[in-house]
Amino acid sequence: MRIPSTIRAAAVLAAGALALTGCSVQGGGSGEGGGDYPSRPVEFTVPTEPGGSTDLITRALAKSLEEPLGAQIPVVNKPGANGKIAGKDVFSGNPDGYRVAVMPQSLFAVGPLVVDDPDAITLEDMTFVKGLTVEDYVMVVPSGSRFKTVEDVLAADGVKYGTSGAGTGNQLAQALLFGSAKVDATAVPFDGGGPQLTAVLGGKVDVGTVHVAEAYEQIQAGALRPLVAFSKERLKALPEVPTATESGYDIVVDQRRFVAAPPGLPTDVRDTLASAIDKAVASPEYGKLLEDNHIGRWEVGGDAVGKQLKSARDGFRAMTERLGIDLSGQS
Amino acid sequence: MDFLSPVLAGFGVVFQPENLLYCLLGVTLGMLVGVLPGLGPAATIAILLPVTYNIEPTSAIIMLAGIFYGAQYGGTITSVLLRLPGEASSVVTAIDGHELAKQGRAGAALGIAAIGSFVGATIAIVAMTFVAPLVAGFALDFGPAEYTMLALLGVLLVTTLGSGSAARSLLMAAVGLLLATIGQDPLLGTARFTFGSDELLDGIDFVIVAMGVFGVGEILYNLESLRHRTPPPVKVGSVYPTRKDLAESKGAVARGSLTGFLLGILPGGGATMSSMVAYAVEKRSAKRPERFGKGAIEGVAGPETANNAAATSSFIPLLSLGIPANATMAIMFGALLLQGVTPGPLLVDEEPELFWGVVNSMYVGNLLLLAMSLPLIGIFVRILRVQPAILAPLTILVTMIGVYTVRNNVFDMFLVIALGVVGYLLKKTGFEPGPLVLAFVLGGILESAFRRSMRTFDGELSGFLTQPIAASLLGAIVVLILLSLWRAIRTHRAATKKETDVTPAEHQPEDGDEQRDEHPAEHAR
Repeated sequence: MRIPSTIRAAAVLAAGALALTGCSVQGGGSGEGGGDYPSRPVEFTVPTEPGGSTDLITRALAKSLEEPLGAQIPVVNKPGANGKIAGKDVFSGNPDGYRVAVMPQSLFAVGPLVVDDPDAITLEDMTFVKGLTVEDYVMVVPSGSRFKTVEDVLAADGVKYGTSGAGTGNQLAQALLFGSAKVDATAVPFDGGGPQLTAVLGGKVDVGTVHVAEAYEQIQAGALRPLVAFSKERLKALPEVPTATESGYDIVVDQRRFVAAPPGLPTDVRDTLASAIDKAVASPEYGKLLEDNHIGRWEVGGDAVGKQLKSARDGFRAMTERLGIDLSGQS
Repeated sequence: MDFLSPVLAGFGVVFQPENLLYCLLGVTLGMLVGVLPGLGPAATIAILLPVTYNIEPTSAIIMLAGIFYGAQYGGTITSVLLRLPGEASSVVTAIDGHELAKQGRAGAALGIAAIGSFVGATIAIVAMTFVAPLVAGFALDFGPAEYTMLALLGVLLVTTLGSGSAARSLLMAAVGLLLATIGQDPLLGTARFTFGSDELLDGIDFVIVAMGVFGVGEILYNLESLRHRTPPPVKVGSVYPTRKDLAESKGAVARGSLTGFLLGILPGGGATMSSMVAYAVEKRSAKRPERFGKGAIEGVAGPETANNAAATSSFIPLLSLGIPANATMAIMFGALLLQGVTPGPLLVDEEPELFWGVVNSMYVGNLLLLAMSLPLIGIFVRILRVQPAILAPLTILVTMIGVYTVRNNVFDMFLVIALGVVGYLLKKTGFEPGPLVLAFVLGGILESAFRRSMRTFDGELSGFLTQPIAASLLGAIVVLILLSLWRAIRTHRAATKKETDVTPAEHQPEDGDEQRDEHPAEHAR
């Protein structure tokens, strides 16, 4: 009777695993009602590997938030499936305010254009607590490139452009630009901003689009030339760079990050957390980090976060449909 | 002496007492973390990040860097003693290192690894000091086309790593490549072979595969043999490498330093590639390559030297280009940013104290590591004396904790058990997991790099020939294949000739051609 015993073993293991996962989710009850919130540590989940922009912002926020919130704030990285693993995990938990996540706009506004996932996290699956940051994109070429302006790029044929991967804002921004200008261009997706930048610097692709912070040092050192920004207004860090809108293409794509909790978070808990975040983001340390890394502030309330995500999602979809751009089959 | 004065000033920074202390703290932690299978330097640095907020940037980075290269020393220990490679770069060490341990020569293997690591790292630091700005561009020369060829070369080398037949190695490598396709399509983001599970969407982490098929598989296999007989207690033997070991490893250490330094500069997989290349180089240049896989000391010395040299030179892209070369470097990048320092091409000029302080701290750190590891070997090898019935569950427990820390995910713990069963079955049927694990690492690089290249070349395969580095690598691959074929034909002829000349019973076993003597035909004459 070997098989039953293995099954039993598996069942025991499975039960053990359930108990383990259970630990992190349950234990809510004690902190219900905003009065005594928070009475224990508030965990911030980052949906990416350590080291990225979301991670950096969350850690800087957590550092300044402990005091105003009056609780310890452990930061936990739970990478996977472009943030879906972390999102599903956190947003299926108790809406008690002890586990929240910092999420990127791209997951909800760009992701659905790339992968058709019936099981995706939707805007209804979260309570928006607070907006945090906005980061703009800039298109760059190596300083030795034949492209001096964005017009040069758009007049060229067979442009190879780097992206930071499927479902990223920079992929969308470039696809929209080349689509609007009817340029024959091929996307070459890389595994993140760093590898994309390496390829641009090494001349392996013609152009690339990255966050301002990612390119800034190389621009200052004269290794990269910025051509166009995908922001509404000119960039504070690079005021000489024209926007896409100025060049005649109404394309504004940026990356925003916000704090979200499971749906049904009590209003008083949400307000306690949001007003503590307000104090944290006013700290000079947090401010310096944003400034050093050319990250903009987007400290709007929860409702405004929801509105922005919805308009970005619908706006991007309408634009890609109008231009006939299919990001998923992009080749 | 414009160039040297900031370098020397950097030493002044290192020798400030608190920096020495942070350096010691970092390397000690790193070594501990390296010893714990699964728990990698990346996770540790992420955990410790909040601690560094109130420390001065230079001290903080000195400590975090210490964790990173210290872990390279520690990783060898479990690789050799328990066949549990915690890092991709020490997978090949497990092949010969664990054999040596079984022969009671664990001390020699660990000693050589420590000495090789020290030499490799030191050479890399010296090289970094003088040529960092020059070689930084090397990282930029490697684009998709070059990575495609490098990975292809790697897969070719993988098949020579096993000590079994070439056909079996190839088969295992193919399985590894297939496993690497699980998860999101690297370019399009479409889910592949995930069976609708979000957990598999990012593919399987390397650590999970290595821990499963190597470590857990090995433990299961040993437990089975425990049922039949009580294994004789493993002899621990001499704790230190002998003069002969040192003499045999000299060349391997020198060659490993060079491969490690150069390949370490390449972002993504540099350290892993370097340890594999070093192993393959040693096997090819050995007078008796058949000893590899059965406990050749060069098989430990070469890769271990190379991976430490690579760990050191992987700081070059971070500090001089602002590009993190691997996951640990990405966190280091984040740590620097949190400290208000932006790594980039201007760092050397803007923050010379930090730059040279960190670089020079590595001399001290490596010296400390060498001084710590040699006496500790005597203690670590005693792990082998622990009853398997006690050691096995403990190892599994520690492995499980380590595996969990990779993504903070319980699913991975089940995956590692499942892969452990696969590893056990492989071992039982005489297949080697080495080629599988290494091909798995290379598979991801190969696929995405090839498809990126195809996009940049407008779908023309001939595009590879237009890139000088890629074309040269392709040339090397062709030469290697032709050489192997030619050897195989010669041995085959020799074997058939021998069969007709002498008694048929004496004919050589159909091993992979790589395992043979340099001139097998001459034996037949």
